Amino acid sequence: MTAKILTVDDSASIRLTTRIALGNAGYTVTEAVDGLDGLNKLKGGEYDLVVTDLNMPNMDGLTMIRELRKLPAHTGVPVVFLTTESDGELKAQAKAAGATGWLTKPFDPESLVKIARKVLGR
Amino acid sequence: MSNPDPISVFRTEAAELLEQIESGLLDLTRRLDDRDQIDAVFRGLHTLKGSGAMFGFDQLAAFTHHCETAFDRVRKGDVPATQELVSAVLSAQDHMRALLETPNGDHDAVSAALLEGLHRAVNGAGMPASAPQHVEAVAAAGDDAGGMREWRIRFSLPTNAMANGTNPLGLLDEMRDLGECTIVADTAKVPSLDALDPRDIHLHWLVTLKTERPRSEIEDVFIFVMDEMELDITEIAAERPVAAAAAKVEPAAPLTPVFTEREPPQAANDPKQNKTAENVRVPAERLDEMMDRVGELVIAQSRLTQLAGTAADLGLRSVSEEIERLSGELRDTMMVLRMMPVASLFSRFRRLVHDLSRETGKEIELITEGESTEVDKTVIDRLADPLVHLVRNSIDHGLEQPDERVAAGKPAKGRVALSAHQTGGEVIITIKDDGRGINRDRVRAKAEASGLIQPGATLADQDLLQLIFQPGFSTAQQVTNLSGRGVGMDVVKKTVEALRGTIDIASRPGEGSEVSLRIPLTLAIIEGLLVRVGNGSYVIPLSAVEECLEISLEDDVRSRGRSFISLRDSLVPFLRLRELFRTGTQPDPHQKVVVISTGSERVGLVVDQIIGDHQTVIKSMSKLHHDVVTFSGATILGDGSVALILDVTHLVAVGQQQEAQLRAAG
Amino acid sequence: MSEAARKLDHDAIWGADEDLSVLTFNLNGETFAIEATVVQEILDLLPETHVPGSKPFVSSVINFRGKVIPLSDIRLAFGMEAVEATIDSRIIVIELLLDDETTLIGIRTDKVNEVTTLPKVASEPPPSVGMRWRADYISCLVKRDGEFIIVPNLQAIFAPQRDRVGVAAGTN
Repeated sequence: MTAKILTVDDSASIRLTTRIALGNAGYTVTEAVDGLDGLNKLKGGEYDLVVTDLNMPNMDGLTMIRELRKLPAHTGVPVVFLTTESDGELKAQAKAAGATGWLTKPFDPESLVKIARKVLGR
Repeated sequence: MSNPDPISVFRTEAAELLEQIESGLLDLTRRLDDRDQIDAVFRGLHTLKGSGAMFGFDQLAAFTHHCETAFDRVRKGDVPATQELVSAVLSAQDHMRALLETPNGDHDAVSAALLEGLHRAVNGAGMPASAPQHVEAVAAAGDDAGGMREWRIRFSLPTNAMANGTNPLGLLDEMRDLGECTIVADTAKVPSLDALDPRDIHLHWLVTLKTERPRSEIEDVFIFVMDEMELDITEIAAERPVAAAAAKVEPAAPLTPVFTEREPPQAANDPKQNKTAENVRVPAERLDEMMDRVGELVIAQSRLTQLAGTAADLGLRSVSEEIERLSGELRDTMMVLRMMPVASLFSRFRRLVHDLSRETGKEIELITEGESTEVDKTVIDRLADPLVHLVRNSIDHGLEQPDERVAAGKPAKGRVALSAHQTGGEVIITIKDDGRGINRDRVRAKAEASGLIQPGATLADQDLLQLIFQPGFSTAQQVTNLSGRGVGMDVVKKTVEALRGTIDIASRPGEGSEVSLRIPLTLAIIEGLLVRVGNGSYVIPLSAVEECLEISLEDDVRSRGRSFISLRDSLVPFLRLRELFRTGTQPDPHQKVVVISTGSERVGLVVDQIIGDHQTVIKSMSKLHHDVVTFSGATILGDGSVALILDVTHLVAVGQQQEAQLRAAG
Repeated sequence: MSEAARKLDHDAIWGADEDLSVLTFNLNGETFAIEATVVQEILDLLPETHVPGSKPFVSSVINFRGKVIPLSDIRLAFGMEAVEATIDSRIIVIELLLDDETTLIGIRTDKVNEVTTLPKVASEPPPSVGMRWRADYISCLVKRDGEFIIVPNLQAIFAPQRDRVGVAAGTN
């Protein structure tokens, strides 16, 4: 069974880029348009990896991951942030909220795939 | 399924975003305090910037970044939302469409004008305005593969690593993929069963790995957990006598190409960043002491290399190479430790400008950019006074009174911009004003009156401007409280040159002046060419060396009385260092000419012998030798003796002077 | 230099103390003394590097533990002849505060004698007339065993001079 990845970003073009990159690498990709959408999709399904933006309408990435970590079924899901921010304080907050990794935009789709491989172990 | 082109998706998305931004802005014109709209506009700009940079719309990303920054400040309550600000962003938003249509067009002038409007709108609160900097991905820590090597890897993970999505078994699998692996789990720290939370990790692992892959790939395995884990990768070198490369993985350093830290567009300007990084305060003098120790280590190491090079003992050579590498790395790390952002230098100008504004009755806006540019701490310390002087000069001499400005069709508020950016091994700091510019007639009159130039002498404009760097020169007709206090531009120039830097000035009448300082990033180490003159060894900074030529004794004798060599099509003045230094020795039969230059001006230095490249830890000369301008410093050679470092700027000036004299003599 | 200023110098070095701990050394047959507190180290002769264009009394530099420090021949400040080094020659490294910056300086000596105590009662300011040497380069003279020990005014001797002079352009 291929690994399932949820990508959360309010930018359609970024979502497309991540979907192409991860899809070509053989993963099943589901998209969410903001934190709230992402959280709902997470609650409704099993995901092996979450790739999310930080700054989004309705619910930001940090809040989403904090909520996610409260759900017993999802405590161990790796979450990688994909964002233009590289502020150390934000990173620390993300770590504290339970982030697994961080990739700064603009990013190389190859790097994203490598990260997915690493986190998923395949 | 065929995917649509991401770039065209981005264009569509960007058009939508711009519409959202526009409608948000228009709503704001009716209700300036609408938090939701402020947030929405900010988010729109933020996404536009991020995605724009992603798909190569760099101009758009850079330009949008400024608007985003402005709105971020509004959002945080730093700056009030005003009609002026909203309409500035509205016009900016129109321009963003153009940047989206023709991403490679020349938009600089319009961008600059619009950003200026934006600056005014945020009311001189110091809107940073530098273009985003794309720092290329950090290359992999460069071990080359080169054969099978054996590594000992010891690591432990943070106890909560599993809860955050890290799978230790995955890490072990990845290592198995790299090569032949022996894995031993150390259970010493596992608590008793009743105290054990199954979600926590208490194991430590010891892995022996045989692989042809470089170290960087082993480090890649741990990229997500690197900054919280303990990781020790040691090469077990069968053929090497010394356990090599026991490098502890530095959590702060991005070591892998995967988890790349691209400098995001906004990072360069956010002074808050300096606070958020985890810092350890170290007294500056300890850093200096450490630098001295590292310098000594580098010197001792070069002696070792010399000895090992002549020895037949292969073991000794390999240790020596290892130490050479380690001390090189240590030195580089040390250099980075000494770097400080120029923000600490720029921040002191707000108050100064505020005070000067009140003192002079001039309205002044100070703009700073590139505050995160880092330079050696010594440079920061020494540049403070010259910069104060330059900023005072701009305000006192450059900027006009508000009514005068208005009469000249300029905004009443004058602008002084301080900026810093790095190019190659140099940092360029500019002080720019939009004042009246330098009055050439007054410079000329003053220079003639003080005998610096002949009355009516013909001078190139740049040469005329350079006169203000002459000692004792001050164009202020009345000595004011601000700048006419004896400390002149000559002192500024000397300070900059003492930092091995250069100073340039440009000025357009009625439009303003710009002074640029180019300073090397680090003062402590330079690459030098070691030469012999008479019985002494001297170092010429390699950055200034253009080429080395041989000069035969016949040529030398023939050129006597001329002191020019012909270098391809041009005549280059040259200096015989033996004569300059009064060595009293005979010339070497194989003398060399080292051609050095500063910018366009060149001079050849005749030396007896070129010994070779030499990496030089610069030691400053004491105050007792500050009168000797021929040398910019000294260094200690492998044998413990001292070699002096030639001051290129000075020697070129001497050469030019000599040329001028000879030309004058016909 | 006025009488009052010399008195001041004299007082400055002694302060309220009755005794001054010094290191004595010889230059051209005269005995000099430097306050022991400024002395860092006594070195055997080291390889020197000549600094072309420098003032004769600080004409070279040496490597003192990884620092490049000036080597001074203060006898030249006193108008004495330079002499060849002998087996007894030593370098005294002192630390001075010049322009608010601590500066290490090596001083060439013919021979280093001893650390000793000079009593204030035996000291006197340099006379304004009848001296072979510049009075402002001397803090005081201390009479002992029928000879005068010269306590040089190191601050005055090493006061930084601001005129920067390069070596002149080559003469062709």
